[in-house]
Amino acid sequence: MSKMQTEHNLATALSGVAGSPAPVEERWMDRVTRLRYTYWPDHVLGEILAKRWMETAIPVVVLILVAFALSQAIPNFLSPTALSDTGRQAGEIGLVVLGMAVVMIVGGIDLSVGSMFALTNFCALFLMHVLQWPVGAAIAVTILCGAVLGAFNGILIGYFQLRAFLTTLITLIIYRAIYDLLTADYSTAIAGGLPNSKTWDFIGSGEWHGVPTVVYVYAVVAIFGHVLLTRLRPGWHITAIGGSRRSAYNAGISVRRTVAMCYVASGVLTSLGGIFFASRLATAGGDIGVGLEVTVLTAAVLGGISLGGGKGSVMKALVGTLIVLLIVNGLTTLSLSGGYNRMVLASILLLAAVIDIRWLKNRHRIVNKVYVSPTYHNVPQAPSTAPDCGTVWAVNDRLGAATPIGLGRIEGPEDVILDRDDNLYSGSRHGDIIRFFPPDYQRMEVFAHIGGTPLGMAFDRNDNLYVCVGGMGLYRVTPSRQVEKVTDETNRNYWSINDDSRLRLADDLDITDDGRIFFSEATVRFEMDEWVIDGLEARGNGRIICFDTNTGKTHTVIRGLRFPNGICIASDGKSFLFAETFNCSVKRHWFDGPKKGSTEIVLANLPGYPDNINNSSDGHYWMSLAGMRSPALDLAWKMPGFRSRMVRRVASDEWLFPNMNAGCVLKFNEQGQVLDTLWDFSGKNHPMITSMREHRGSLYLGGVMNNRIGRLKLEGVDPDFIQYDRRWRKDK
Amino acid sequence: MIDALRDWKDRLLGRGNASITVPMFDGALKSNSLLEDATVFAALDAPEDMATDGRWLFVADGPTVLRYDTTATDACATEAHRFDCPVTALACIPGGGLAVALDGRELRIVGGAHDGRRWDAVAGKKMNAVNAISASPDGRLFVTDGSRDYPWTRWQHDLMNLGHSGRVFELNMNNGGARELASGLAHAFGACAAGDAVWVSESWRHRVMALNQGQGAREATDPLPGYPSRISPAQGGGYWLTCFTLRTQLVEFVLREPAYRKRMLAEIEPQYWIAPALNSGNTFLEPLQGAQLKMMGIVKPWAPPRSYGLVIRLSPEGLVRYSLHSRFDGKHHGVVAAVECQDNLYVLAKGCGRILRLSVAGAERSLRS
Repeated sequence: MSKMQTEHNLATALSGVAGSPAPVEERWMDRVTRLRYTYWPDHVLGEILAKRWMETAIPVVVLILVAFALSQAIPNFLSPTALSDTGRQAGEIGLVVLGMAVVMIVGGIDLSVGSMFALTNFCALFLMHVLQWPVGAAIAVTILCGAVLGAFNGILIGYFQLRAFLTTLITLIIYRAIYDLLTADYSTAIAGGLPNSKTWDFIGSGEWHGVPTVVYVYAVVAIFGHVLLTRLRPGWHITAIGGSRRSAYNAGISVRRTVAMCYVASGVLTSLGGIFFASRLATAGGDIGVGLEVTVLTAAVLGGISLGGGKGSVMKALVGTLIVLLIVNGLTTLSLSGGYNRMVLASILLLAAVIDIRWLKNRHRIVNKVYVSPTYHNVPQAPSTAPDCGTVWAVNDRLGAATPIGLGRIEGPEDVILDRDDNLYSGSRHGDIIRFFPPDYQRMEVFAHIGGTPLGMAFDRNDNLYVCVGGMGLYRVTPSRQVEKVTDETNRNYWSINDDSRLRLADDLDITDDGRIFFSEATVRFEMDEWVIDGLEARGNGRIICFDTNTGKTHTVIRGLRFPNGICIASDGKSFLFAETFNCSVKRHWFDGPKKGSTEIVLANLPGYPDNINNSSDGHYWMSLAGMRSPALDLAWKMPGFRSRMVRRVASDEWLFPNMNAGCVLKFNEQGQVLDTLWDFSGKNHPMITSMREHRGSLYLGGVMNNRIGRLKLEGVDPDFIQYDRRWRKDK
Repeated sequence: MIDALRDWKDRLLGRGNASITVPMFDGALKSNSLLEDATVFAALDAPEDMATDGRWLFVADGPTVLRYDTTATDACATEAHRFDCPVTALACIPGGGLAVALDGRELRIVGGAHDGRRWDAVAGKKMNAVNAISASPDGRLFVTDGSRDYPWTRWQHDLMNLGHSGRVFELNMNNGGARELASGLAHAFGACAAGDAVWVSESWRHRVMALNQGQGAREATDPLPGYPSRISPAQGGGYWLTCFTLRTQLVEFVLREPAYRKRMLAEIEPQYWIAPALNSGNTFLEPLQGAQLKMMGIVKPWAPPRSYGLVIRLSPEGLVRYSLHSRFDGKHHGVVAAVECQDNLYVLAKGCGRILRLSVAGAERSLRS
């Protein structure tokens, strides 16, 4: 971190030296912007929102806040006794909420739960208190009663296709009317006769290890419900119908029966709640279950079960139940009257419904808008490349003489490599490794198919071809064309929200003498097809990773790099050079020797975006610039707010982009001197160059967005140079 | 207060004045390559404006006015006039003679009955960037002055500084009178008498205004997808309107980003600004937009253009009848003038310094098929 910091300061200082016309105040403003964007992680928001568990996370946070607030406001609110009492109520209502959840997930609604609750409560009490039935029989008949009440809903809605809302509203009234008639006749009898059953008392007020009976039952039902919804066929059918009834029907799901069964399930679960309620309170008063549907609906919607169907889980039902119960109990303890109580609940329901609909509809849109989160990036003014600038950077047309290979037949050869038999290999955007045959490279074949987007390549000592594959990881093609996965994951950074253990965009590699493979991963935030957007963000999203062929282990070496790209082992064998594309620089990192672990800048403030690095025959290095910097983007890099607004407002096709339509090849040495540059001034043949490889007196050029490979005869170079034969000392 | 709140909300959500939507190329504006495929009639160093008297084509090229015979088979230019500063606008006066604007600061009549008459100020204010002249048969001249803040060459500065100091004049050749018809226009560029009214292009507001004495101003066209420039009458009624470049979302966005815009103006050279241009693709230092990336050796012709060629044929009511295009991958960009002469349309593409010629009947035929 401190290293990056000094680098920033260095960059700021350099921009001062370059004589930028910006007044002092603005540079001060730049500093504020830099600190703001260095220490406030904007990108985290988009990454969190993109997570699947976000849907449940908000209700959980609400639950914690509510519990905390009430425990502060009310003494002993979270004491064991209070919790046990809350547990009892939570169990009873929770069972009803589960029933409601199932109905909502299938795309319906059950308003009659309150009346069913009252009726099953009456049923249990009547059987136990008046008829004095044994507990088992009473429970069985009560559950059956609930099933019948639910089935009435289910048949009307499932088979007769009536509207769920209207139907259950009507049954709410009918069931309530029946209940009122029955209680008028039997409430005195119920109050009079007490059942003499220890089991019945245990159901109502029993505890085991301090936890009420009902909680155990609830837990069993909940676990079964979770397994059902997530793992079993009927649960998948329920979710499918809720997601799209027509598609489910077309897929052969028995829609009517499944919908009807969901209402039966709701009735059964409500009756279970009714049984526990009856055994606990033994009352058949007139207000039992009145307004329960509002409480239950509030709980379900608050938990995040979508009113539109198809979305929901047992966890959400549980969290919603707890939130509602805590609020209700808290308000009761604060001695608010029942009317206020319900008004608060209704308001919460309304709010939750609005949030539910707006949030579910717009979440992915919000993610799209906030995921790209640009950060402050200050690069000094670029050196001039004008033809008359008098430096090594002067634009020329030396690449104009390059002859095309595979014109129109190869698409996206990011890297090219040649073996000692002069065969030319390149990746393609179709996921193939293509081999061209000498001497004229007209004939080509698919050498191996890997998939993904093959990028950087290198030969090891045994002529295995190692390939970095964008979207997949590091792969190896043996001389017998066998494709083998080398590694596709590294150690996870626990500070990263995105799971960065999988490799997204392995880019280029080189191999040390002792068999360690250092490769770059350009970005952990974007996929292969969005790699240019990473340049718009200009954050250090990339890293360099080491795979050790001796141990088979992968670990991350450097993090926080701005699009690390080309890698080449340096002459001392103890360090490697790597290009940091959107930092417009080349750095050197020591992995062995006395300077182990340190990183130094070799080339800074390049006029373009450096890409692959390879050895040249004279002991120096070739490097390509995949694109050129433009003053407009350099300025925009200093203004992250401008870029983030642009990303939100402007269509992506119209975003200001790094210019990848022009580039060059350059030769540099380890001392940080640029020795030579080769340009395609007209931009016809090789508008973009991502890689070049010197081989037997010629330079071969690749470009990730090109439809050709270029071949350029070099003057005055070693005509026998083969990069990996010299590398593995096989050329002597 | 409410306005301020609304502006703030608009800026936050990108709505209202902060919205950057640009009209689409739809219907009569559907793109084609007629302008790109047009015959190159002449290639010049610094062409600025064109005018015709029905037989001769006059072209302002730097400080000279060239004359072409449109009836001849080959384009052969003779120098008609030479001045000591660039000619920025040109019009043929019915009955002979030319009206020329010199360096945008002076208007002069050469030849004809009013030879030697000149103006350099109207309504007490000096002319600054005169860029178009239109002569009517009754001896009046309609003149547009693009900006009072910037000279005619620095129109990009005027746009990026949200300039709105353009003026329209009516000059009377018979008595030397001068009258200001409108002021405070966002870059007036092109005028043409249209019945009782005068049509004036207001470039930065992407519209053509009809100024009618006593009735005030109204919009003569729908919002345009480009920045309109000169207007000339077409045979058979209606007008030729040129757009010297297109609007893009990115430029519209930058115009609404004061912090970036000001730093860009202060720190970056004009040719590398995020701003419309008459030609593009000259250097990799120009800003590049997403869809302009070259893929497999090809750039999309429908990519958002930095420069573009567009001529619009308007009906007498101001409706678009059809349009001629040179798209992103073309060369004939930065069209500032189009005049019809002898059944041919002559188009001045300033971006590439060429005068193009195409047959009106041929173009209409190819658009119908």
